[in-house]
Amino acid sequence: MTHQDFLDQVDAYALGALEPGEARTLEQHLASEGPHPLCEAALARARETVATLAADLKPVSPPPRVWEGIARAIAGGEPVPRAPAAPSTPAPAREAVKALRPIPAWTYSIAAAALVILVLGGINIREAHRSAEMARASAAECKKDLAEARIDVLRKDDALQLLQEPGTQLVSLKPSPPGPAPGAPGTGVVLFNPRGRALFVGKSFQAQATGDYELWIIRDKPIAAGQLKPGPDGRVFSEVRPDVLTGGRPAAFAVSVEPKGGERDAPKGPIILTGAVAAP
Amino acid sequence: MTRPAEDRTVLDAVRRGDQRSLEELYRRHSPRLYALLLRMLRETADAEEVLQETFVDAWRRAGEYSVSRGSVEAWLITIARSRAIDRIRNRGARLRLVKQSEQLATTDAPQPEPPDVHAQTRLRKALGTLPPEQRRALELAYWDGMSQSEISRETGDPLGTVKTRVRLGLQRLAELLAG
Repeated sequence: MTHQDFLDQVDAYALGALEPGEARTLEQHLASEGPHPLCEAALARARETVATLAADLKPVSPPPRVWEGIARAIAGGEPVPRAPAAPSTPAPAREAVKALRPIPAWTYSIAAAALVILVLGGINIREAHRSAEMARASAAECKKDLAEARIDVLRKDDALQLLQEPGTQLVSLKPSPPGPAPGAPGTGVVLFNPRGRALFVGKSFQAQATGDYELWIIRDKPIAAGQLKPGPDGRVFSEVRPDVLTGGRPAAFAVSVEPKGGERDAPKGPIILTGAVAAP
Repeated sequence: MTRPAEDRTVLDAVRRGDQRSLEELYRRHSPRLYALLLRMLRETADAEEVLQETFVDAWRRAGEYSVSRGSVEAWLITIARSRAIDRIRNRGARLRLVKQSEQLATTDAPQPEPPDVHAQTRLRKALGTLPPEQRRALELAYWDGMSQSEISRETGDPLGTVKTRVRLGLQRLAELLAG
């Protein structure tokens, strides 16, 4: 990249309007042996202009919990992601952010609120204890639901991110043979990226009493790609083992029901879903 | 000492590991950054998270700050916006489908502080002089976190045209605000 190339793109870079790859090229230029006084001056000017655009906003005081989270994080009390190399390269750090996100106050306040209501109503202490226990259990249940919802969001974000990567294709898995099959298999789709990543996303999977669902990659022969464990709601999110994605483009994906513990060599149980991978 | 110079002094102390100085930096800049993030992300929880990330990032990378590439405020805004853009792009189409009006819909929307009326007036005046298509390109990039390719798809204009609008729009704005 020449200095002129940099100058041509620096405004879009400062705005964050470049694609990640383009932004990296500009950052590499600045990091390369310099000096780059013109480029740095242009970047400073563009950044100041971009910063000025926020002047139109009325400042808003964040709640105290935000600073409390920061203070905890820098004191080492919470896991925090490593910072990316440069500020304008978008870098996901959601895992640690979830750790920083405070649990909503309502989950903790349920028990306290229940107690207040009971005391005001003149109900006896034993009754109050029992109700408080129930409220605590309810709060715990809420926290559990909340944790599950967060995991769900993370999984969906992960799938969405993979879907947005160049080359990712959706392989829809359909019942095999067509029509309703024994055990009511769910529906599934594989998000497959030939650069070595695949995710299985399914729904309406019933837990098998005597077997496990196994995902297979079909090339010239089937290769076990990992067990699929449905959640209580019948949904399945499963990362395909990366080591089985390295042997060339698969012809298809399939799901079978195998004896407990899965099967490594070839499907022995019924194949319930299959989907062909489209040619590039 | 001017405010940018004071900021640099505070950041120097942050660089040496002084947590109180980070708190001072937070006190100075978090209200504007939070307003920016609320506007970009439209969700209080997301804005709070990204604000946390921004200052944890600033703490860890204070040593990388270079005055030759802009003020401390511009540096913090760059960090905050790049993290917000990352989040917006991860949400992708999902967010844009549910994007509501410019007003926050949250019932617990934080109360704004008194604005810097002078800066607002100057900016509005400057924005008002831009051709509408340049202004639109800047707004889509700035508030919606769209890349130039995404703006091209959104508006139906050729990518080259969008690039020119972004470049000319920001340069014109810089001239107007400096003048």
